[in-house]
Amino acid sequence: MVRYQGWFAFVLALAIAAGIFLLRTPLEFGLDLRGGSQITVQVAPTAEITRVDSEVIQAVKAVLERRVNGLGVAESILQTVGETQLVLQIPGEQDPTSAVRIFGSTALLEFRAQKPGVEENLRKLRQLRSQVQAILSLRKEQIHSGELLNDEKFNLGKLKEAQERFGLDEKTMNETEQMQQLLEKVNEEIVQQFEAAALTGKDLVSAGRQPMQNNSNNWEVMLSFNGEGARAFAELTKLVAGTNRLLGIFLDGQVISEASVGPQFRAAGISGGSASISGNFTAEEARELEVQLRGGSLPLPVEVVAVRTVGPTLGTENIRRSLAAALSGLALVSVFMVSAYRLPGAVAVVALSLYVLFNLAVYALIPVTLTLPGIAGFILSVGMAVDANILIFERIKDELRSRNTLIRSIDTGFLEAFSSIMDGHLTTLISCGALFFFGTGLVKGFAVTLGLGVLLSLFTALTCTRTLLRFLMSYPALRSSSNFLPNRQLSTSSA
Amino acid sequence: MVDASSTAANDVHQLHWSLISVRRQVWLISTSAVVVSSLGIMLCWLDPVIHAPLRLGLDFTGGTQIQLERNCEVACSDLKVVTISETIRKITLPRGANPPLPRLDSPRVQLLNSGQLLLLRLPTLSAAQGQAVIEAVELVAGPFKAGGQSVDTIGPSFGRQLLQSSLISLSVAFAGITLYISFRYSRRYAFLALVALAHDVTIICGIFAWCGLLFQLEVNSLFAVALLTIAGYSVNDTVVVFDRIRKQTQQESDLPLRLHVDQAVSKTLARTLYTSGTTLMPLLTLVFFGGATLYWFAISLVFGVIVGSWSSIALAPSLLMLWEPLDD
Repeated sequence: MVRYQGWFAFVLALAIAAGIFLLRTPLEFGLDLRGGSQITVQVAPTAEITRVDSEVIQAVKAVLERRVNGLGVAESILQTVGETQLVLQIPGEQDPTSAVRIFGSTALLEFRAQKPGVEENLRKLRQLRSQVQAILSLRKEQIHSGELLNDEKFNLGKLKEAQERFGLDEKTMNETEQMQQLLEKVNEEIVQQFEAAALTGKDLVSAGRQPMQNNSNNWEVMLSFNGEGARAFAELTKLVAGTNRLLGIFLDGQVISEASVGPQFRAAGISGGSASISGNFTAEEARELEVQLRGGSLPLPVEVVAVRTVGPTLGTENIRRSLAAALSGLALVSVFMVSAYRLPGAVAVVALSLYVLFNLAVYALIPVTLTLPGIAGFILSVGMAVDANILIFERIKDELRSRNTLIRSIDTGFLEAFSSIMDGHLTTLISCGALFFFGTGLVKGFAVTLGLGVLLSLFTALTCTRTLLRFLMSYPALRSSSNFLPNRQLSTSSA
Repeated sequence: MVDASSTAANDVHQLHWSLISVRRQVWLISTSAVVVSSLGIMLCWLDPVIHAPLRLGLDFTGGTQIQLERNCEVACSDLKVVTISETIRKITLPRGANPPLPRLDSPRVQLLNSGQLLLLRLPTLSAAQGQAVIEAVELVAGPFKAGGQSVDTIGPSFGRQLLQSSLISLSVAFAGITLYISFRYSRRYAFLALVALAHDVTIICGIFAWCGLLFQLEVNSLFAVALLTIAGYSVNDTVVVFDRIRKQTQQESDLPLRLHVDQAVSKTLARTLYTSGTTLMPLLTLVFFGGATLYWFAISLVFGVIVGSWSSIALAPSLLMLWEPLDD
């Protein structure tokens, strides 16, 4: 008996430790439970780098991390998932749009010299571009002011505004779209007028932004290059200085700005290694460009493949609901166990509570981020934990019916049930393993909680239930078979 | 310990079910369930719209799903699905990173919770495009509760990947379980457990295939999770019964197998029913209180537990008799 008191003390100490640990360490909830955005990006191979291995993905991750930090979003987490994917999690109510933009662009900065002999062509193209841009910005202003007008007569205007804005006035929409397409075509054509890149962002040392001197609203982005970059920049400016040819600044193959270089630089080019980009940026756009440039260019392009956003109140609602489900499920199971198995049933309920406590403590310890499927896995593992107890108690009943002594029945019951408990738990663990290693996202969370639950239920069913039962058996008052076998069956079997 | 006479004397006190005498009915029920299920799966496959064994959801096909909660404190106006789909059709989307623009001509609009919850299914949209849709819908259906919305966007390639990884994890789990049982028991037991497993998975898929045909119900990656869990549960259940049969045949090898099967099933019947009950209880609370996200997941598990219990107490042990000549 002393042996079991020792075990009992051990289980008790473990429970207290788990309780204290849980109080000190809060559980981590996934974004689906507390709200926030999750963005998954896929890293794509290129002609140069045909295989995405762990080294490459770490490089991509490092670049993206710098960019994300530049955004200044608190508590965001960037993780690699599988071989070729990265997941960014932004908790709380945050607009995922700007984060997606940071991911979506590779921010490859290039300086290119204008091809010789295309001056007239380029001049016409640039003229056309500014005309189209003027029309488009005028149109934008009209739409904008139209909205303001309708906002004043809020209730009446809402429906009409929607109709106007989204298609009833088809002529305007078509024209705008035509203009947009035209602008794209012109820009493509302009790109053709420049030579291949002589200087790229890889020689960039730093990027900063400042308001432009000439007018109040626009910003420019200042760049400085390293020694090699400075030399290349001097070469490049020397090439076009005083020739009427322009220096194009490209971001991701799109021209942002064209600059002329004065004849005074013909001898040595612009030395010192600094330049500025001005492209009618707003403060916000300048900041994003700065972040993208400072983050360095990605070794490989990334594509946003999934975005999940859950509002914060929806998240809280999810927690409340799954908690209610878990608790009422446990309550039902407890009532059932006590009515079906009496004393051992009550012991099983205690063991089950311990099981829940240990489980939560393990979640906090590892830590496991609890998601909605994770909670489902947990609830399901409760069912399996009860199964182990039922198997044992049924075997104890069998032994009692064959008129074994109580203590022997308990021991034999545990022994006999062991192999099927083991088989059941192991087969479930095999499924969990398959889900964990080959599944993705949600599926993984479920596998982790179910797997941990299965392992812990092995421990609680085989150790806690047994220890508690044996400990209680040291009180003679409880040592009666009627506490184990429901009355009717006992009376017939003793008759 | 347990000799034959005392076992016989104690049979009175426990549930007794002579499985062997009703084995033909068991086979008939299981076979017809499997046939009806396979029919549903085949019809899904032949359906030009679905063109897959099950109606695949957003997770697998890709697309954007927007859930909006209307703020009805200021009395929710009546809303028609048609009004919203018309509104969505007319939206001019901002350009995304990759042209062409997604087409919005066939949005799927659902009104849930008596019109309080709006569910939109659209082709894959960028974050800005999704925002444009929300703003446009807000003008006709709003105001919406702040923080009560969720947007899910899955790219088509990502969806295919999810489907692939789900199928791979399913097959690996099946293979692993079969290996384990043939190692712990014998190849015959492993084969029968696999038959029971295939039976359960087919019926669950069949139920969802029919639901997909009749009620446009779609399966997502949680359904794959449910299938795997059902597989684990079903095998677990079957193994407990097999374990009992094996123990009995070892103890009293002179008795015919059919007697062992009947006794083992009877002896584990209480346990199987209790375990199914205690597993169903939390699942049913999940169905009733768990909320929309886990609703169908919990339902599929409920069906899985019921079918899994049937296959392990009735189908799998009765099939064991196929190896034994029967004289009745």
